[in-house]
Amino acid sequence: MAQIFRKSANNIAKISMVSVVLLAGVGFYAWTQLARSSYLTGQYLEIQQPVQFSHKHHVGDDGIDCRYCHQTVETTASAGMPSTQTCMNCHSQLWADAPYLEPIRASFRDNKPIQWNRVHDLPEYVYFNHSIHIAKGVGCSTCHGPVDKMPTVYEENTLQMEWCIQCHREPEKFIRPRSEVFNMAYRPDDTDQATRDQLKVDYKIRSREMLTSCSTCHR
Amino acid sequence: MSLNKRNERRLYLRSALILAAVCGLLLTEACGVRSDMQDQPRYDAYEKSDFFADGRSSRDYPEGTVARGHLEDNKAFFTGKIDNPDPNAQAATSTDANGNTVVSSFPNAVTEFPLPVTKELIDRGEDRYKIYCMVCHGQFGDGDGMVVRRGFPKPPTYHDDRLRNAPVGHFFDVITNGWGKMNSYGYQVQAADRWAIVAYIRALQLSRNPDSNLKMTSTANSNTATPAAAAKPQAPAANGATNKGGAK
Repeated sequence: MAQIFRKSANNIAKISMVSVVLLAGVGFYAWTQLARSSYLTGQYLEIQQPVQFSHKHHVGDDGIDCRYCHQTVETTASAGMPSTQTCMNCHSQLWADAPYLEPIRASFRDNKPIQWNRVHDLPEYVYFNHSIHIAKGVGCSTCHGPVDKMPTVYEENTLQMEWCIQCHREPEKFIRPRSEVFNMAYRPDDTDQATRDQLKVDYKIRSREMLTSCSTCHR
Repeated sequence: MSLNKRNERRLYLRSALILAAVCGLLLTEACGVRSDMQDQPRYDAYEKSDFFADGRSSRDYPEGTVARGHLEDNKAFFTGKIDNPDPNAQAATSTDANGNTVVSSFPNAVTEFPLPVTKELIDRGEDRYKIYCMVCHGQFGDGDGMVVRRGFPKPPTYHDDRLRNAPVGHFFDVITNGWGKMNSYGYQVQAADRWAIVAYIRALQLSRNPDSNLKMTSTANSNTATPAAAAKPQAPAANGATNKGGAK
């Protein structure tokens, strides 16, 4: 009686078994990479704003402190967005006629807030508080990158949980002295590891178990 | 009715309920009703509101609202003015070469700090000065900050006799309400921090004129207080750094 399958069917069966595993593996890998890509996370994506405000100019060239505009960053969860009045502190005099700044003047005149486009948008199931990070010696640029060199602001980091957690696991690798928190020129190796270990003690930063507990951020 | 039959009916009822629930869920999903955890139905800070006409979810307080503990009845502390100001008091003024009016006496301003002047206060003042003031007034108070170099009208230096003789309440009043081309910084800097800045300005003035008879006296007394006790401003507004959000 003739065989239903030819002899080559053995090979086809083996190859297909192997390739199913391989394909699944490659597919999984592709999925993890896609999930981390800036296409999905928005990392490095410059967000355009209704006014072409340049952090590079105001912070980098003029040396204005972060807190001049983001006033509540040391005291509340939100870093604080400046009211139009803050813009007008200088721009009532400087570039007061520039067409460029008309949206600012219109906002001030009509008492209507400017609708800035959000750059860093955490999912709302994450509790995040700026003030505690400032108090424990996490610098602005540690998370936000070189804002003083950004004409248009983008996300320096993915804001994915794996990114948050790497610092919550080993904060001593990322913290700096409180006096350097707002220093945009600070480099991570300006403080040596032994000093950072001591800072972790001095600033009473909690244990790795506490910092990586689910309810620390998901509450 | 037999026990068996009752159980059977219960089973039917339960199945029907589950079926209805599943159908209901599918239907609501299809209609686009979903509670997405990513974007929950509550307002985050500065989030746009579709409910209020002006689109702001952060609402202003109704006029006259006083938060608990924020009556701000300590007049000297919150305004820098004396308790019973003379409404007819005239400030001495003159006109400078550019046609600007220069005020050289400040009759209703307090002359002493309403909180203890300590090293902590001055350090805090230095910190705040470098955030909010240095951009125009310059690192040492000469009025040559970066924004001035970009073309903002030059503010006066702190290091002349007129401002050395100005009472501390005047500096506080200027920070709180603005002066000339300078906008009010009262909404950006808490009252305790404004006094800290005034103390730092005085320290800057002293640094150029150690022999002048500038005094950093305080009605709250005392300059002899221990730093630890003085680190907590006695006024209710407390220090900006310890003010935990919420009602302002």
